[in-house]
Amino acid sequence: MRLLRAVLAAAWMGWKREMEWTNPALSLVIKTVAPAAAVLGAATVYWFGASFAGQFTAERLAYILVGASIYGQVAAYAYVPTSAIAEGKWSNLYPQVYITPTSSTPYLAGRCIASFADSLPVIAVSLAVSYYVSYALFRVSPTLLVSLRSILMVLGALLASVPATLALGYVLGSYSIFVSRFEWALPSYVSGLLMIFCEALFPANVLPYPLPLVAELLPFTYLMRACRAALIYDLWPAYVASMGFLICGGLVFLAIGIIAFSLAERSARGKGFIDKKVM
Amino acid sequence: MQFDLNLWYRTMYSRAWVRIKSTYGEPVWLAVNLAVPLLSSSAMALLYRSAGLGNYSGFAILGGIMLAFWGNVLWSMASQFNWDKETGIFEIYLVSPAPISAILVGMSLGGILATVPSAVFVSLFGWVFFSVSISPSWLAVFLTFVLTLASLYAMGMLLSSLYLAYGREAESLNNAIGEPINFLSGIYFPSIGAGSPFPFALQIVASFIPLTIGMDALRKSVFYADGIRAVWLNLVILAGMAAILLYVGDRALKSLEERGRRQGTLVVRLR
Repeated sequence: MRLLRAVLAAAWMGWKREMEWTNPALSLVIKTVAPAAAVLGAATVYWFGASFAGQFTAERLAYILVGASIYGQVAAYAYVPTSAIAEGKWSNLYPQVYITPTSSTPYLAGRCIASFADSLPVIAVSLAVSYYVSYALFRVSPTLLVSLRSILMVLGALLASVPATLALGYVLGSYSIFVSRFEWALPSYVSGLLMIFCEALFPANVLPYPLPLVAELLPFTYLMRACRAALIYDLWPAYVASMGFLICGGLVFLAIGIIAFSLAERSARGKGFIDKKVM
Repeated sequence: MQFDLNLWYRTMYSRAWVRIKSTYGEPVWLAVNLAVPLLSSSAMALLYRSAGLGNYSGFAILGGIMLAFWGNVLWSMASQFNWDKETGIFEIYLVSPAPISAILVGMSLGGILATVPSAVFVSLFGWVFFSVSISPSWLAVFLTFVLTLASLYAMGMLLSSLYLAYGREAESLNNAIGEPINFLSGIYFPSIGAGSPFPFALQIVASFIPLTIGMDALRKSVFYADGIRAVWLNLVILAGMAAILLYVGDRALKSLEERGRRQGTLVVRLR
């Protein structure tokens, strides 16, 4: 119960930090503009390239819109744990969280859950905006199957990605404890690599062998596949299979993440990194 | 106060030197600066390849090169005075005899030189892994590149003046405007002229962004061997934009500095 309360308190704090630094509606608009523009940018690159090559299809456009929109959420996760710990060290919040009875593991979980919650409307709005703007620009309707069933399936897939999200949070959190400068470097690389490897914009088989195998190991690849199975292909078996890989892979990654974070914290305490900051 | 060229030059040189030294003296910075342009342009190059037009990967790589500079403008120019205000450096600038315009120009030159390794690495990466073939008209490429950077960094100076009026909103604004400007300016695809998916009205709007004009001219001169005759209009517009943005930026800075003095917001720190 105490653990749950700590997670909820951290989630509430994360929400306040991410969404309520200004009017929440304005905050949502500001948070949505960039992902929506990024989705449209990728869709336009596809339109431009595929039109010239004579290979443009509405289904592939939908593939990119869905993947790029969901990727926006995945990329956001990469920055939250770094922000929670790096900013927390700078503002002295992290050492204080560390010495509480539940310590920082539930704190990081709460911050990731807040990021998950505030990314949901961002995904929905950026997908809707990019759908309509794509139609206006390219005069093609991306073949999206929007129904209560498909929306629930996507929501299910996003919820199933929570363990993988937390895992990413813990792994990046372990790194953030030790750095006092360049703390944004690793999340930038991680989010960029995920864009390439988790099938956000193109199938992994575009990558030279053996790189497609990396995509098969990432739970976020299965999140993309599950969302596409729901929103584009209406393939229940593919959806279930992707969900299985997403949940199992996410749980394995979560276990690794928690172990890595605990070891990192223990080592950081020994070396005096918990409250080390550079002004 | 009388204009002192020697003081102006020394201030500009000092500010540029700090930026260059901080980047080249800390090689990790080079790796940090490389992440976004390298991985974004690689993803877009692969997207071109998967769309069946692999020989257009060069557009993505060129976009990555310019993204490195645009990122530097956003994060190391526009936000800089706001961060300087938070850490107390900005008030030191104000009470010193150093001209603010020299600090801004020094920051720009230092930023450009600090971004060059990222741009070079992205180019080499594109050449090696995506076999990008170019057909450049070097004089046009050089002039376009220089004028694009001049107008982009002049825009950075204007933004830095505007961000001075903001507090932590500046970071969120930076996050919000980066991608829409990438999209409108057609950093990875033509957003104006032939091949643009945008309606004419949107192309006009996009043309107010220096990066749009610069990218259009760079694509023509790098990939289609278009010389100065073909891109002269872009060059004139870029030069005009640079001059106007410099002037407006200087005026905005003076006006916001004056407002900050009256309202006592120039020395507000977050910690």
